[in-house]
Amino acid sequence: MQWIKKDMELYVGSKEYIDTAIIPILPFQMSQEGNLSKSTSKREILSIFATEIENELSGRLLLIPNYYYLEYGDKVEEMERLNKWTKEIQAQPFKHVFVLTFDSGWKRYEKDMSANLLWLPGFQAENPNSDELRQMIRGQVSDVVELIRSYW
Amino acid sequence: MSEDKQQVSRRQFLNYTLTGVGGFMAAGMLAPMLRMAIDPVLQSTSSEGEFVNVGLAVEDITTTPQRVDWQIEQVDGWYQSKPGRSAWVYKDDNGNIIALSPVCTHLGCVVSWEGNDSHPNEFFCPCHDGRYTKDGVNIPGTPPLAPLATYEQKVENGILYLGKAISRKGA
Repeated sequence: MQWIKKDMELYVGSKEYIDTAIIPILPFQMSQEGNLSKSTSKREILSIFATEIENELSGRLLLIPNYYYLEYGDKVEEMERLNKWTKEIQAQPFKHVFVLTFDSGWKRYEKDMSANLLWLPGFQAENPNSDELRQMIRGQVSDVVELIRSYW
Repeated sequence: MSEDKQQVSRRQFLNYTLTGVGGFMAAGMLAPMLRMAIDPVLQSTSSEGEFVNVGLAVEDITTTPQRVDWQIEQVDGWYQSKPGRSAWVYKDDNGNIIALSPVCTHLGCVVSWEGNDSHPNEFFCPCHDGRYTKDGVNIPGTPPLAPLATYEQKVENGILYLGKAISRKGA
């Protein structure tokens, strides 16, 4: 389910079936122009990824709106905020909360994170709508879906 | 010779002019109405465009369900997108092609064929263990309350085309 009106009405009616949430966390920066295209393509691909995962498991999984953080900012500070998000979600209650990212920098902070970190190796693509990329994402999505199911 | 020339009186001239202008105005009003009245006739050719080539040849369809994915063009208000569609396609015992929507009728997860080892020969929903028989009918006692939707389908030049998904009543 997504954070949209139609899905939220369904969610309120069948809360007992939805126990898993995914927060896509995305870096934002404008100071390093050389890395701009890398940062933006990461964002596009992670969004596609999150939507595809949601599509496969929409009946049990809620896709939380994207969380943005400064790419070269203080991760400890961000993590405190992120843990507040997690707390808010877990209180609903959600049994499983995942944080989806391409940024391996979060791995160091995983032990202090109250959500499960789902780190995926990022890849770059010229065109996020190309067929090859779609195939590639679909292949990876089914693996991630398997991983999430192992928590259920 | 000049007296043989027909004279047009002022009254006649005005009559002709008014008839001409009035005719134009009437035509201007009638044409859109006529266009609207015969609109369904003009539309019938384009409605077939809803069928999409899903890139699967009929001879490649087996009795084991296989998943096909394709995209459709969708314009929703000002928002244009290419949402993906999927189907489980197989031939039944009589050789008829069956195309089932993979969207679970419970809460909308994607079901998979033989997705659980303990339930062979069934569609399985990973979210809440919903199960469907091969023809897409929900198995009582599992969460879904309706069978999987079937796609409108047609075959042209040996290629499968799928249209809209039609939901079925609960079993």
